[in-house]
Amino acid sequence: MASVRSHESIELMTYSEVVEVSGYVGNFKVKIRKKPRYVDEDKCTGCGVCQEKCPFKADNEFDVGLGSRKAIFTPFPQAVPNIPVIDPDSCAYFLRNKCRACEKFCEAGAIDFEQTEKLVEVDVGSIIITTGFDSFDPSPIVQYGYGIYDNVYTGLQFERMSNASGPTGGKLQLRDGSQPKSVAILHCVGSRDTNYHEYCSRVCCMYSLKFSHIIREKIPDAEIYQFYIDLRCFGKGYEEFYNRLQEEGVNFIRGRAGEVTNVAETPEEKGKLIVLCEDTLIGRQRRIPVDMVVLSNALEPRADAGETAKLFSLSRTADGFFMERHPKLDPVATMTDGIFIAGCCQGPKDIPDTVAQASAAAARVLSMISKGEVEIEAATSIVDEELCSGCKTCLELCPYNAISFDEEKKLASINEALCKGCGTCAAACPSGAIVSKHFTTEQILSQVEGVLI
Amino acid sequence: MSFEPKIVGFLCNWCSYAAADLAGTSRKKYAPNVRVIRVMCSGRVDPTFVLKAFQCGADGVLVCG
Repeated sequence: MASVRSHESIELMTYSEVVEVSGYVGNFKVKIRKKPRYVDEDKCTGCGVCQEKCPFKADNEFDVGLGSRKAIFTPFPQAVPNIPVIDPDSCAYFLRNKCRACEKFCEAGAIDFEQTEKLVEVDVGSIIITTGFDSFDPSPIVQYGYGIYDNVYTGLQFERMSNASGPTGGKLQLRDGSQPKSVAILHCVGSRDTNYHEYCSRVCCMYSLKFSHIIREKIPDAEIYQFYIDLRCFGKGYEEFYNRLQEEGVNFIRGRAGEVTNVAETPEEKGKLIVLCEDTLIGRQRRIPVDMVVLSNALEPRADAGETAKLFSLSRTADGFFMERHPKLDPVATMTDGIFIAGCCQGPKDIPDTVAQASAAAARVLSMISKGEVEIEAATSIVDEELCSGCKTCLELCPYNAISFDEEKKLASINEALCKGCGTCAAACPSGAIVSKHFTTEQILSQVEGVLI
Repeated sequence: MSFEPKIVGFLCNWCSYAAADLAGTSRKKYAPNVRVIRVMCSGRVDPTFVLKAFQCGADGVLVCG
């Protein structure tokens, strides 16, 4: 990210949102809303004094509710750019019109409470969409007790906890601060489940294995249990990692966990969380008492994927992820020329796959730039100028706004770069002046004869 | 002998034709009575196409899109 920001040909716009897209391949016009940061990006040196001095705290979204941040903050230490932002919902100045501590202590004079949002318009030739995913909220699955029992965490929460710059400084601990002696990791929470998401989220098996490894490293005598349907260690070196964990003494239990409860039946279970499941390899119901439960929750489309799809005219698959032009032969292009997708916005995938897809999308864009011209659809519509009466019927009907009216000649004219060849204009033209190439009236009528006679 | 209608289907390239194609790649069967003609958009379907189909002996015409 840091090298992207310092690259001379890349302009990085964080804390910004696309509000409007118009145009076509090679000539997109994109309107972007830059939200007010209340910090002058040119003046700020990133020293961090404002964050130290700010007296107000709020939940840190990046730590998924485990840690706190100030009202002026960067989400995590490595965030790019290293320029903080003021959250008006937790800043005392915005709420009660007092404080301004950050302004007093900022030596660079970068705090600017008067900043307002800015609209900028950029001209671009192509667009790559990499909006990522949302983490599935497991609280609707009440039997797993997320949000009910203190020590049930999501995968992302555990990840933050194990991170050296995270809310606990990398210490694995329960809500009361003590160290867990046993941990259960439940796979496929919200994925491979027809009640929530039918698809496999692909990454959970491997990150669950990684968690086991981290626990083993940080708490060597901990008992670790993995509850799985089946382990999908599909990538390079993944199966070997699984074998290594078996040697490290992780307990693998084949069976989707049915319930997490705190109702103890024996003295050993007292004060613990008990995972109930059917161990399908020994064909028996089991109760496993543990201190901590980690739910490997699904990856799901972003909550605003529908609006993004509308903005960029993208299609979505039944599961809500953005649809590629062809699942095998054109996996990064979309139905709109010049717009590409990469990463988890297209479907759940791990980091190597995301990097490969992003590289492919970048290469597709670069090949268009180096060629300097784009190939357009062969099947476009053309206007026979001799026949066109200039009635303008087609102008209103064209779904791609590809037809304009030539005021000089009083004729309709079609922009071939915009035309997708749908032929609506050809069907509607009262003078029969528009020909839909490769789908001419004669061709279709002969096909009708061909299939019937 | 039961009645086997001949149906001409004008299918949009982006949705219904793609769906028919998907049925094929998913090895799903559909009745062979519908004979498919691909158009780039159901908007391309001119009323004369429908009349021509009936004239040539079609029992039904399906426009999907």
